[in-house]
Amino acid sequence: MMKTHSILSTGVLALSLLLAGCAGESTSDSGNENAEDSTQISFIHWRGEDKAVLDDIIAQFEDENPNISVEMTIYPSEQYQATGQRLLQDGSTGDVFTSFPGAQFEAIASAGLFEDLSGEDFVSHFDEELISVGQKDDAQLALPYQLVFNMPVYNKGMFEELGLEVPKSWTEFQEMADTLLENGITPIAFPGADIGPNQFMNSMMMNNAPDEDIFEKLQNGEESLTNEWWVKTLEDFQLLEQNGYIQDDALGTSQDSAMAMVANEEAAMLATGSYHMSALLDLNPDLQLDLMAPITVEESEAVYEGINTATFMLAVNSQSEKKEQAKEFIAFLSQPEIASQYANETGQHLTVNDVEYESEVLQNTAYWIDEKTTRFQPRFLITNAQIEAAVLSSIENVLGGADPMTAAEEAQQLVDENRE
Amino acid sequence: MKISKSIYLFFLPGVLLYAIFFVYPTISALFYSFTDWDGLSQSFQFVGIDNYERAFTGDTIFRKTIGNNLKFMLVVVVFQTLVALAFALVVLKNTRTTIFLRALYFFPTILSSVSVAFIWSFIYDPSLGILNQVLELVGLGFLAQNWLGNADIAIYSLAVTQIWFHAGQMLIIFVAGLQAIPDELYEVAKIEGANKWQTFRTVTWPLLAPSATIVIAYTTIQSFKAFDLVFAMTGGGPNNSTEIVATYIFDIAFRNYQFGYASAISVIFMIIIAIITFLQFKALRSDRISY
Repeated sequence: MMKTHSILSTGVLALSLLLAGCAGESTSDSGNENAEDSTQISFIHWRGEDKAVLDDIIAQFEDENPNISVEMTIYPSEQYQATGQRLLQDGSTGDVFTSFPGAQFEAIASAGLFEDLSGEDFVSHFDEELISVGQKDDAQLALPYQLVFNMPVYNKGMFEELGLEVPKSWTEFQEMADTLLENGITPIAFPGADIGPNQFMNSMMMNNAPDEDIFEKLQNGEESLTNEWWVKTLEDFQLLEQNGYIQDDALGTSQDSAMAMVANEEAAMLATGSYHMSALLDLNPDLQLDLMAPITVEESEAVYEGINTATFMLAVNSQSEKKEQAKEFIAFLSQPEIASQYANETGQHLTVNDVEYESEVLQNTAYWIDEKTTRFQPRFLITNAQIEAAVLSSIENVLGGADPMTAAEEAQQLVDENRE
Repeated sequence: MKISKSIYLFFLPGVLLYAIFFVYPTISALFYSFTDWDGLSQSFQFVGIDNYERAFTGDTIFRKTIGNNLKFMLVVVVFQTLVALAFALVVLKNTRTTIFLRALYFFPTILSSVSVAFIWSFIYDPSLGILNQVLELVGLGFLAQNWLGNADIAIYSLAVTQIWFHAGQMLIIFVAGLQAIPDELYEVAKIEGANKWQTFRTVTWPLLAPSATIVIAYTTIQSFKAFDLVFAMTGGGPNNSTEIVATYIFDIAFRNYQFGYASAISVIFMIIIAIITFLQFKALRSDRISY
């Protein structure tokens, strides 16, 4: 009896230890052989999926710079948003760090934790236009490294089979969606349970409100969510839901489920962004993918064709005592051949000039960088997180069955309460 | 017998730990609740009672989170207590089967909340989730729901997960309480001709009241602080329908960088929990009987 008990208890304990593990940050120290003589800098970010390639790049950096070693610590992105800034405050962590654009960038800038990088030679390695999001008060505080397109990924092969063309207007978009429905395909897989609303809102509103200062005006009281631009956006969301252009129960669908729908060709579009193309191809290597934003106005009124976000903004901690070494590391990351390695191994477009994209999907979508008219992700121009939440909740409200004007009024009330 | 004054030194470690990890943060929160500190800057301004005024009069979401928290708490406290008590009565005797069942019921408690959130998010998924699929299989497809995506029911879906997660823990407290009731009292009740319900009502429940007090108070506090499940499963959505005070405090402090205001909400939250717990203790204490 006792023996059975012991075995049972040991089994339960072992299983518990296995299951009770909880994801946390991961730290990798390159183990530089000259570590004792070298200056160690800390590099913190949130891209766990890039660990392998960054480990390799760090090893190359340390070979070229034997007097500098890099300790990389990766935090889950939610934790990074919550605690990243605090880590920077005493200067011992995050000599090189990354920041999200928008609210986090503004908060770190207000706290004076960005070292001004204006005038550094390596700044010229980046696309001048794309790095403007890292500027404040005429100073280059951070350098966005990645360039993502926050607009639906679509199954190009499926479109070709069905004789569909990329719609250039809202009328054409609805005709395209109807054709897909007639063929038993859900037009849009929408991950409403997590990132769907905050990604899809960008392309849904880009032509309804072409003014890039619209959210700044909303925050300072010059604009309202009850005005035409946002009510029309909510009406467009309502139309997608009511016509079955997005799947049933969309607000309960996670991004994994939505991705599975596209990978299994049950749905034609994934309402997230270019960063999911590699993962979709992992799930179904036969897919031919491209990007397409819904044009919610008539063709003649369309100003933008898509959405871009320059993110993963590299920066040097103003509190660091190793600023020069930190800048050396950023300079290294900005070399075209290193940036090319990072781009190709992570499946991301970058803001660095002269990057050579080798993967088919990156090559096929690189035309979005130069040939298409895209605008910076509007959501990141909402610098007040409570106002951003109010905007997003109005979309959820409409997809949950509320009238667009009512949802807009409720959201505007929250905006008014949170305006500074 | 004279007690040496040095005996008080034995209290010191406990008092120090309590002071560092409870008293100091509480006083800090109270202090910052009267400021506009953003959590990052070295400087801040005193704003008097502005943060409290905003919470009570100018913050619709905060009022909604209180309502959500109360709904969540009521469902969890009532059903978790009933489920734990019912299961405790079933596994009370020390047999091989009941000991195994106790371990089985306790098992969810030792899982990390992230694992539980992951498991239940999958169960609730409207298209791939096992719950809707099972309902379809047994001919109850009309009951299939968008469990976490429907703003009207999402908070109750979370409550079910919370009950599954923590009922086993409460079961152990109830088992301990039940096993402490002397057998003689049951024998007397039997001789007096009491049926099962009468025995439960007049013997078991009154003597179980101290355990029930602990279970209910602990469950209340736990459900008010159920941050991790909510954060991982719904993030407060859809449309703030599952936003509770704890997740809202996180949003205000760490996403909107308003530590002063978040501190004010924390203080209000602490007072609400204290009042509810006090009322529960008062109510349940009056039920206690000693034989």
